[in-house]
Amino acid sequence: MSYSTFNRKHFDSTKEPMFFGENVNVARYDQQKHPIFEKLIEKQLSFFWRPEEVDLSTDRKDFQRLEEHEQHIFLSNLKYQTLLDSVQGRSPNVALLPIVSLPELETWIETWSFSETIHSRSYTHIIRNIVNDPSKIFDDIVTNEEITKRADSVSLYYDRLIEMVNIYNTMGMGTFSIPGKGDIEISMPKLKKALYLTIASVNVLEAIRFYVSFACSFGFAERTLMEGNAKIIKLIARDEALHLTGTQHMLNLMASGKDDPEMAIIAAECQDEMRQIFIEAAEQEKEWATYLFKDGSMIGLNAQILGQYVEYITNVRMQAVGLEAYFETKHNPIPWINAWLVSDNVQVAPQEAEISSYLVGQTDNSLDDSDFDDFDL
Amino acid sequence: MTSTSKPQGDEKTDQVHRVLLGKKQILVTEDEPLLVQLERAGIHVEYQCREGYCSSCSVKLLWGHVIYPFEPLAWVQSGYLLACCAIVKSDIEIAFFD
Repeated sequence: MSYSTFNRKHFDSTKEPMFFGENVNVARYDQQKHPIFEKLIEKQLSFFWRPEEVDLSTDRKDFQRLEEHEQHIFLSNLKYQTLLDSVQGRSPNVALLPIVSLPELETWIETWSFSETIHSRSYTHIIRNIVNDPSKIFDDIVTNEEITKRADSVSLYYDRLIEMVNIYNTMGMGTFSIPGKGDIEISMPKLKKALYLTIASVNVLEAIRFYVSFACSFGFAERTLMEGNAKIIKLIARDEALHLTGTQHMLNLMASGKDDPEMAIIAAECQDEMRQIFIEAAEQEKEWATYLFKDGSMIGLNAQILGQYVEYITNVRMQAVGLEAYFETKHNPIPWINAWLVSDNVQVAPQEAEISSYLVGQTDNSLDDSDFDDFDL
Repeated sequence: MTSTSKPQGDEKTDQVHRVLLGKKQILVTEDEPLLVQLERAGIHVEYQCREGYCSSCSVKLLWGHVIYPFEPLAWVQSGYLLACCAIVKSDIEIAFFD
């Protein structure tokens, strides 16, 4: 069955499963099988922001004053975030659009992926502002062994699904001998399994890996350092919270069988593998924490505390998709992160940093001590 | 008996309900969501968005009845409630995850 950009068949898309049914034809949202995806789109659009709205001139000064091992932590974390959003800015589109069957879900995938490209653009904004030669940082993302290890694990399931769907779309079902890869069996259960595990691995990426990186970004801001960066990460975190809700809905809808009865059987068969994806990712994140803090820790955050946070957040995310918690850690070791993660429009101000929505295009950080000269107490 | 229903019968009353959490007991009203009332009672609950889309404040609902004036965007697991937007409508017992 080959992909068509405009399926000529006449069918009721509300009767289709989320994936592997008919290719979507008319992009219509007046009738929806799963209205949640339309709601997610609306929410995501209401979040729209641009990186350039955040002034980073103070961050440059802060960065230069950081100790060398702190610069290593900050830059490595930023490189990891850049890698994650490079993957997320394209992969939902490449992997999921050819197999999606509901217009509202198709548009959610595009909206979701688009918002990741804003995140990628904001990393360039940050890097340009804090260093003179951005290439040194970007180039390291493809050569640094610790980062490429991360790249392998975040792209593995996506790449496998994309490969299988490519074969399916050109050859159909069967077992095919692919040069360099050996025999690959394409059947609907195999495709659905690859899809389910991909969504699980994306959920891990957004719900665990990203949050570990947010903890580092906010760790600096807790010390009133790199606050412009934290402001951007706060906006990114707001988007990611929505994205992970999207993938949790997909996983739970699949597992419930309400969307596609065959998918429920596959989801049940995949529970152990999905569990393993969560646990392995947590172990990788703990290893990453050790790498971040290899030359020294920073006030309030070290490899051990970050490791505990990895365990804590993994437990929370596993339970959210119906898995049993795996780790012993039951409490958030860095409760201060909530004040940074909280979205605006609520009356919880993280310390003295300004609320980002007040700042949109309004102020800059170029305040000098001399501006206070005519103040008398 | 655990039930989490959608908007219906959400007319406010002056009633006060008991929230049991382990050995603690907190009195709450129907005027505000559970989260702010727990916080005021000095109980730390995880949160992020505080408007129903991130599920960070998901808490186990062992028994009792809560409603959502607006259906949250986050997936609410059966047997759980979202503290940031749940209005307590009866005595309830809750638990953090174990």
